[in-house]
Amino acid sequence: MRIAQNVRVPALRYCTLSKFRDFLGKQWLFCDGGTGTVLQSMGLKGGELPETWNLTHPDRIYELYSGYLSAGANIFNTNTFGANRLKYPGDLEDIVRSSVRIAQKARAASGRDDVFIALDIGPTGKLLEPLGDLSFDRAVELFSEVVRFGAEEGADLVLIETMNDTYEAKAAVLAAKENCTLPVCITTTYDENGQLLTGAPVEAVVAMLEGLHVDALGVNCSLGPRQMLPIIERLVQAASVPVIVNPNAGLPRTENGQTVYDVGPEEFAQYMGRIADMGVCVLGGCCGTTPEHIRQTVQTVRAKTFRPPAGRRKTLVTSFSQAVEIGPRPCIIGERINPTGKKKFREALKNNDISYILQQGLQQEDAGADILDVNVGLPEIDEPQMMETVVRRLQGVTGLPLQIDTTNPEALERALRYYNGKALVNSTNGKEEVIREVMPVVAKYGGVLVGLPIDEQGIPETAEGRIRVARKIYDAAREYGIPEEDIVIDGLAMTISSDPAGALTTLETLRRVRDELHGHTILGVSNISFGLPAREVINSFFFAMAIQSGLSLAIINPNNDPMMRAFRASCALLNMDPQCMNFIGAYGSYVAESRRALLSPAAEEAPPVAASEASAHGTGARAAAAAGSASGAMSLQNAVERGMKEAAASATREAISAGRTGLDVINEDLIPALDVVGQGFEKGTLFLPQLLLSAEAAKAAFEVVKETMKGTTQKIKAKVILATVKGDIHDIGKNIVKVMMENYGYEVIDLGKDVAPETIVDTALREDVKLVGLSALMTTTVVNMEDTIRLLRARKPDCKVMVGGAVMTQEYADRIGADFYGKDAMASVRYADSLFA
Amino acid sequence: MTSIQVPEKEIFRYLGYRGVAPDEQVKDLVQQCVSELQARSQLRSVSRVYPLTFPGENELLVGNEQTDCMHIHSANLYKNMKGCEKAAMFAATIGQGVDLLIRRAEASGAMTAAAVYQAAGAAMVEAWCDEVNRNIIGKEKAEGLYARPRFSPGYGDFALEHQHDFFRMLDITRNTAISLSDTLLMSPSKSVTAIIGLSRQQEPCILQGCEECASRKTCAFRR
Repeated sequence: MRIAQNVRVPALRYCTLSKFRDFLGKQWLFCDGGTGTVLQSMGLKGGELPETWNLTHPDRIYELYSGYLSAGANIFNTNTFGANRLKYPGDLEDIVRSSVRIAQKARAASGRDDVFIALDIGPTGKLLEPLGDLSFDRAVELFSEVVRFGAEEGADLVLIETMNDTYEAKAAVLAAKENCTLPVCITTTYDENGQLLTGAPVEAVVAMLEGLHVDALGVNCSLGPRQMLPIIERLVQAASVPVIVNPNAGLPRTENGQTVYDVGPEEFAQYMGRIADMGVCVLGGCCGTTPEHIRQTVQTVRAKTFRPPAGRRKTLVTSFSQAVEIGPRPCIIGERINPTGKKKFREALKNNDISYILQQGLQQEDAGADILDVNVGLPEIDEPQMMETVVRRLQGVTGLPLQIDTTNPEALERALRYYNGKALVNSTNGKEEVIREVMPVVAKYGGVLVGLPIDEQGIPETAEGRIRVARKIYDAAREYGIPEEDIVIDGLAMTISSDPAGALTTLETLRRVRDELHGHTILGVSNISFGLPAREVINSFFFAMAIQSGLSLAIINPNNDPMMRAFRASCALLNMDPQCMNFIGAYGSYVAESRRALLSPAAEEAPPVAASEASAHGTGARAAAAAGSASGAMSLQNAVERGMKEAAASATREAISAGRTGLDVINEDLIPALDVVGQGFEKGTLFLPQLLLSAEAAKAAFEVVKETMKGTTQKIKAKVILATVKGDIHDIGKNIVKVMMENYGYEVIDLGKDVAPETIVDTALREDVKLVGLSALMTTTVVNMEDTIRLLRARKPDCKVMVGGAVMTQEYADRIGADFYGKDAMASVRYADSLFA
Repeated sequence: MTSIQVPEKEIFRYLGYRGVAPDEQVKDLVQQCVSELQARSQLRSVSRVYPLTFPGENELLVGNEQTDCMHIHSANLYKNMKGCEKAAMFAATIGQGVDLLIRRAEASGAMTAAAVYQAAGAAMVEAWCDEVNRNIIGKEKAEGLYARPRFSPGYGDFALEHQHDFFRMLDITRNTAISLSDTLLMSPSKSVTAIIGLSRQQEPCILQGCEECASRKTCAFRR
């Protein structure tokens, strides 16, 4: 099997075929047990960094290794769990190298030829962005260093362990793969529900890691063998590579501030025997286990007949929090994140308006999408950069897996690198050139790959021709090491307005991929109706037929009702919706069309949408907005004051169609309404939620006005920069100020959170901004606020600075030299008005 | 534990309501946000009890130097813990769901919902801390020890830098998936660390006593 990697692999002495791979999955293998427990018994103090002992007490580390080797372990970990540049800024290299050297000595002394030195890699202790402050690239860098030192020194494999975040696990595996050719094994830490601490279920973790081509995977730490049983069951079901299980000696308990474990060697070994019977290939221990635990485990398990891993394979795409299986029922891929034929979306891409793109994603999730297509290709923008940004931002707000849809190889590589999970990739086709470009990248990062049955000869007109190209794609994938279940064939929907038999060919292709190739299929469903009227009528009927012909993935607009009806009805009819639960959930309060006309106009405006999805995912505000629409006609001013979003928008539309200009609406209705609410807030008769509801309603009204004023230049009071300072990673306060400032006529340049002083000053200079608003949450980050102000004073002295945030006070603001302290969002608006209005 | 009651009154208080009940629209929104938050929260905690000694005036030593310990210089905490012989340290979080919900609401332009999630998350983590705190009180009472009010790093003159000690001694990142930034911010955002003094002498301490807080005169949230 050829695993293509477009990476440089250093040609060093360790780049030989691994003997470890001859053992793995072919016979029982045993890991070592706890390190901390043993070292503590040798005198390691709590709080003392265990890895320093590689240098200060090499004899004791030797003793640690030898203890496990004589207990019968085959795989023993170097004492490098916490070794990374963050914890050892100075002597990392010595610490890693010495641990491997001591291990080599211990191995030589054991006289055994069936033992392997595992370069042990634990988590950095930092949470990755967007949850924490460690960037993905920095995480890869931190792991890479350790891998290089350890591999050069002669480790036999890399064992990544105790990972509780898929993103960090991915960074570690990539670092290992990119810096050595050693086998890579990884164990992660699950809670009792079978989730990583960051939320990923077993199946999602396994799919992502197998996509990254790890040699073995499994579970360690946190739980004892008994609590791990259900997790192991799921691991063995999901994995096709050998499974590793390293439990703690029971659940931890504290006694006088010390952690103790209660499961003794005999009981532990009994459980490990049971675990071996479940189909696990590699067994060992974690916290609290000792050489005796391992010795008894080896004895118990050795007596059993070894069974190689079964290799059951499913087709899964995953995100940081879920796995979506392709196959059991058709899945909906939301198609709206795509500039093709969408003027507003193109504008958003050009203006770097990421929040518009995120909103498209969230709306589709609410409407019932299972996966989101991401296509940001536009000739005038930097597509790789935009793709990376959108992927990162989307996975910060939604747990839906993504489909990376691009023809730009760099955009594809960056999307797959920074994606936190196993993505769907759209696409390759049967052309040699495209296969060579796409497949190595998918092979490296993992992914389910869409294959278009098109080759050098063009699009085959018959299903037979398409199947032939599909086979070619499967063959190529195998060569690149992409398993066949990770290929999905596109049935190629072509409009029936130019080829009347087009739909028949497509449907037959779907059927034959399912029945003859036992594969999965995908369709851009609405392509079938280009050039025809009433496209949703054709599309929805074609969709139902495609589902019956075996369609696995449908790229559609989930906001389109007829399409979702076709989908839910087909699933119910084809026994893919147990007890019709989804169907009933969506249409339980359905009103037949013939009766709808009899009902009130309000009901007509609100067609029977999928109630279940809408309420399951809808944020409260959306429901509040819906409540607004039900209240009927209302004056614009009233609607804004009461925070009724829909009512405000429709009142604005009415005002404009009655002949009033946008400017009149703003000056006579919107501004006065905002003022009433603003003053109420300042007086303490109205509170933050009402202020914000009104702001949202006003914003909806402004949107309508903007539409009507298209082409005319709009007046803004001033450009303002808002930023949460460096080191601060929570920015809701700043975002509240932003909404208010925008409503009051300011153009806000939102630099986001954790923003370096230089970025703020550079932007202020470039855009000639006269007011900067800074937010800080902690006393520890106010320092960075002070630095920013100092830098602004030096380089942009005509720029005023207002500050706010949880720890900020007038006194603090004065001390760091700010011009104004805004105690809340209204105060910031008033200050800006005093400068610019 | 996967779910906990969140007192609405507290949420309203965090949203700035003083002596007034919110209108129905806001109440509905709060209820929806709370149930969404309940569904997406993962309540986790870790706690350990250590010996406590006072090496000097305003000096505290939690743990012992042979195993692992924290040296504190703090007049507030010294006063708060006077007469105690042990201290319980804990960390508690409601998980990253709240941060996801806030980011989602912001991305949808639903700032009101974002603010409500923020307030509800704050109320929820406090409720969760109360629960963790109550468990510690109950457990230690059986040992004949009475608990003082909890105290968090960053309050009064108990330096925030002690977060490093908390994270090391309780192995917080591994046990609860809370991480600490270089600027001492915790992630998930709704996470709390605190220390509770344990004394043989029973004092009239209440669970959420703020009396010892040096910022009680300026703090808008004091009870």
